[in-house]
Amino acid sequence: MAKRITIDPVTRIEGHLRIDCEVSGGKVTNAWSSGQMWRGFEVILQGRDPRDAWIFTQRFCGV
Amino acid sequence: MNCIGADQRPLSTGISRRNFLKVCTAAAVCLGLPESFGPKLAMAAEKAAQRPPVIWLSAQECTGCTETLLRATHPTLETLLLDLISLEYHETLNAGAGHQAEEFRKNSIAANAGKFILVVDGSIPVKDGGIYCKIAGRTALAILEETAPQAAAVIAIGSCASWGGVPSASPNPTGATPVHEILKGKNIAVVNIPGCPPNPYNFLSTVLYFLTFNKLPELDAKMRPKFAYGRLIHENCERRPHFDAGRFAERFGDEGHRQGYCLYKLGCKGPETFNNCPTLLFGDVGSGAWPVGIGHPCFGCSEQGVGFELPLHSPARPLYITPPTQFSPATPAPGQGGSKLAAAIGGAAIGAGAVAAGRYLGNKDNEGE
Repeated sequence: MAKRITIDPVTRIEGHLRIDCEVSGGKVTNAWSSGQMWRGFEVILQGRDPRDAWIFTQRFCGV
Repeated sequence: MNCIGADQRPLSTGISRRNFLKVCTAAAVCLGLPESFGPKLAMAAEKAAQRPPVIWLSAQECTGCTETLLRATHPTLETLLLDLISLEYHETLNAGAGHQAEEFRKNSIAANAGKFILVVDGSIPVKDGGIYCKIAGRTALAILEETAPQAAAVIAIGSCASWGGVPSASPNPTGATPVHEILKGKNIAVVNIPGCPPNPYNFLSTVLYFLTFNKLPELDAKMRPKFAYGRLIHENCERRPHFDAGRFAERFGDEGHRQGYCLYKLGCKGPETFNNCPTLLFGDVGSGAWPVGIGHPCFGCSEQGVGFELPLHSPARPLYITPPTQFSPATPAPGQGGSKLAAAIGGAAIGAGAVAAGRYLGNKDNEGE
């Protein structure tokens, strides 16, 4: 019987990350990572002056 | 403080007393308090029976606000964490992860109810039940609503937490909402430190002020500390004399730009953005270390309705200051001085002024009669 381990939040990183692991017989048999936050930059950028794009995109990550 | 030896006495955590006092004096000056308040801030920070607990919640953020704090040097982040506050929870800085971190947060909130400072970076998505930001399976909205009523004060750091910032830019796909709007009507003290990122010293000074006086510093209508956001960038800009004299950079890399002229015509939003960037600067590397100082127009990152809303290179809508309708050429040829035409125009202007003055005096005389 596989055991499910969830680490959420993953700390000491930028952003909100969640890791799900499936462990079976002492070994990881499957794993998923998922970002837990969405801001919609792709939507926000539509229709804007291309010269403004960097102001937005550089704010994906402040690290 | 003047006694040799005593000023070098290390505090329990290893920082010298002299450095500790320097930190507090710098913060006092930043707040607009007299230098003599430095020792008072130091005393307040020292005397606190327990370093004030701080819970830092992150929502729709990029960690830029944490990065800005990492780059502070007076105090450095470790001084802040080891001597001044007790950081109980911060996703990027926590040693533990997952359920360990979450459990510690819950315990700390319970143990410090009514005493801790809650810092929030990032906007709070409210659309679709707040699913666009989740921590440990719960929405940032739910966590904020549960935590804030138990805090002594809430500090919204950065533009996202203060007024929505980047995520709230049109069409605001996630319903990104500022912290103070979520907490509206709940009688919770909120202070906004906008900026993308904000200057770390505006944040640190607010925290130290709170420690010393047990209240928040004086705030403006947008709940920003007046010591930091009381004046337009334009008012303290080192390029302001060029604006007043009509000397502008017209294009990036042109002669005016190379000469360090005013960036108003390139879309600088300094005339409608309240912040202390020109006087406080960034990164502790000396003069000129801020956007306008390195030749880029301010884009109003800290001002709602300006940053991420107005096009980058559209002219600002100056508050208080009306720019002249006509400007003299930005780059007169070297050694030419004023042209004969300019002298003639100037002479005509003086003449017109004299006529106007004469009329005015004449009117006065008439009134006298």
